[in-house]
Parts: sequence; structure tokens; C-alpha cells
Amino acid sequence: MTTGRASKIGSMRIEERVTDDVLLGRAAKGDEDAFTSLYRRHQAALFRFALRMTGSNWTAEEIVQDVFMTLMREPRKYDANRGTLAAFLFGVARNRTLKHLERTPRDLSLESDLEHRIRPSALQDSFTPAAWAEQRERVKQVRDAVLELPPEFREAVVLCELEEMSYEEAAQALGCPIGTIRSRLHRGKALLLTKLELLRDVPRRATAMS
Amino acid sequence: MTCEEFERTGGDVEPDASLSAEARAAALEHVARCPRCAALEESWRLAKSELRLLAASTEASEAPARVEMRLRLEFRTRHRSQKMRHLAAVASWALAAAAAVAVMVTWINWRHAAPVKQPVATHVQPGPVNDGSQDGAEISTLVADGRAADFTPLPGSTLSDTDSASIVRVRMQRSSLGALGLPVAEDGANDWIQVDLLVGDDGLPQAVRVEN
Repeated sequence: MTTGRASKIGSMRIEERVTDDVLLGRAAKGDEDAFTSLYRRHQAALFRFALRMTGSNWTAEEIVQDVFMTLMREPRKYDANRGTLAAFLFGVARNRTLKHLERTPRDLSLESDLEHRIRPSALQDSFTPAAWAEQRERVKQVRDAVLELPPEFREAVVLCELEEMSYEEAAQALGCPIGTIRSRLHRGKALLLTKLELLRDVPRRATAMS
Repeated sequence: MTCEEFERTGGDVEPDASLSAEARAAALEHVARCPRCAALEESWRLAKSELRLLAASTEASEAPARVEMRLRLEFRTRHRSQKMRHLAAVASWALAAAAAVAVMVTWINWRHAAPVKQPVATHVQPGPVNDGSQDGAEISTLVADGRAADFTPLPGSTLSDTDSASIVRVRMQRSSLGALGLPVAEDGANDWIQVDLLVGDDGLPQAVRVEN
């Protein structure tokens, strides 16, 4: 996506192979194109993470803006010896997201921005309007169930299941051992199953079958 | 593998999962013989597919263009003001340096000029010395003492105020004294002599002292 998008940018002469560190160095010296290129490389992943964690398009937008404001104001906060720029930006986004979740009541974060973002193409297997609507409703239920998870479990589910990161990548991103990720994911999924089955209004299959 | 151990895997039994090959084989074997865990695994699989549907619904999400616009505007403002601050700092330093140089030059000039000062002002003023009697006259040196009593007043002048007068030493032919109104003997009229002229505020010689 990054490549496709960058190719559309006629005025930008930043090559794709230029590393983030080089671009950041240029941006720190006032090169606006370099800063824009960095933004375009990383904004989508950060936005998706914030959106999936908060369920709010507006909040995700604010978080992405905050992350890049931080990068613009304090580029020296990033230390290349401690990790990649992507990891640094993700760390900042995660902190902002957790702070937002701490101070914002759950009810407010459950606004239905995400619902409007569900694209028909994502549900292209549905052949009839009724089936499409049913599936759309199901996606909404899953989203609500994810948003109701405690933040630490939600992070694990978002990173491993929605972002499809490996456990190792998720552990690096969250700065914790792989075992912790596995455990949080397990508990998160167990909670999620309970919520989804309650939503489905059916008893847990495991209980029913045991 | 026990049911508890299986639950701890989180149903992560797909081929590309993080479980080792042995753990995955053990998990699959457990599922094959435990209906409860088979049901749990089936639930997990279902949840996973629903999560993937949710992921697909948001996979193309990205921040709206207005965020980029706001950031670029902020970037421009920030770096323009930084440039201005930098320029202002450079200009301030340049001004300070120029002022320091000016002060130093003034001080050096003052230090050089200070020893020349005498109780009676003595400085070379070549213009008035000539005073129409330039023929054969030349400026020699500015060193002279200020004893007004040794001077002979020129005709028409009084030595009433000599405090602000200047003494100018010149070399001239003796005959040039005639131009100042003094009598000159014919003998040795062409001799070169050294003369101190007492020059008044108006630039005109008031008295003369002939060095022996």
C-alpha cells in the first residue's frame, strides 16, 4: 500500500528505499517531503491499531496526529539503537491509546464509527442483501466484543488476530515476553468467546458437549 | 496433553502458529480424543474467522487527509520560526561582535592618542602654516615645548590667549619670515631655519620662535 500510494505522489521525490532513519534525519533539518514520506509510510498501521483499540475514528485520528507531533517536536526521543522507528512510533501510539482508554469511559469509546467503515468489499462472500446485513451485524458484534475486553487482552487480540503479528512481533511491540503474549491472548480469546456466545444467545458449546 | 495444557495453547494449532511441531501434534491428538476440547477448538476457530472478518473490514483504514495537512502546516510553521530564530541569533551575535570591534578600535585609538597630549595642545596643522609663505617652507615635526615667553609676536597680533593655541614646527628659508612681517637681514636670507609658529584658534600664526 505504501508503494502504491507513494507512486501517486507526483511532487514527492523521496525514494522508497530510503530508510526511516535517513528520512528522520532530513526531517529534523526541515525537509518537509521527508517528514511527509515518513508519515505516509506509517500512518495507516498506527491508525488501524488505534481504531481497533478504541473503536473511534476520531480518537484514532487524534492519536495518529499526536504520534507525529511528538516525532516532529522531539525527534531525538527516538534512539535507533533501541529499535526501529516503526516500533518507536507504535510505542508512542500505544501509550496514547492506553491513556485515552484510562481516562475515557467505556461508553464513549464504543461509538459506532467502526460500523461506518465496514466496507462491502470485505463482505463480498455475502450474496444477498439479507446475508450481507446479517454478516455486517455479526462484524459489529465482534467489534463490540473486542472493545469490551480489558486493554491488555485487547492489545494481544488486536495485534495477533487483527494485525496478524507473530507472537514474537507482538511481544516486541508491547515490550513483554512471548509467554505473556500467549497468556494474554488465551485469556482474551476466552473472554471473547464468552461474549460472542452470549451475543449469539447460545450456551457455550464446550459446556454443552462436556 | 491435558485439557488445561490444551487451553493454554489458545487454540493456536494452525500450521503457521507459534507452537512447536511436537506441541502442535500433541494438541491435535488431544483434540481428536477429547470432545470438550474439540468443541473449544471449534469455537476458537469460529471466533478467529469472525475476527478475520473484522480485520478485513478495517484493513484499508487510514488517517484522513486532513491529518496530513495539519501536520504539514505545523511542520512548516515550526521550521520557519526555527529558521527565523536562528537568523535572529546570528544577527544578534554579528551585531555584538561588531560593537565589540568598534569599542576595541576606539580604545586602541584613544590609547595611541593619549601620550601625544601635552599641557599646551600641540598638533600639526599643515594648512595654516603655509599661509602664503609656502616657498621653501616644510613641516618638520610636531614636538615642541609650550613656553609662550620665547615667542616673538608677529606684527598685529597679541599673545593674550595662548591656552588654546597650537605650536607648529616648520622648516623654512629665513627670507620667508619677511612674509610674516618680520625684518630679515640680507645675509643668510636663503638659509634654512627651523621655526616654531604659535597658531591661534583662527588658524593664523600669532607668534614665532626661531630655533638656534
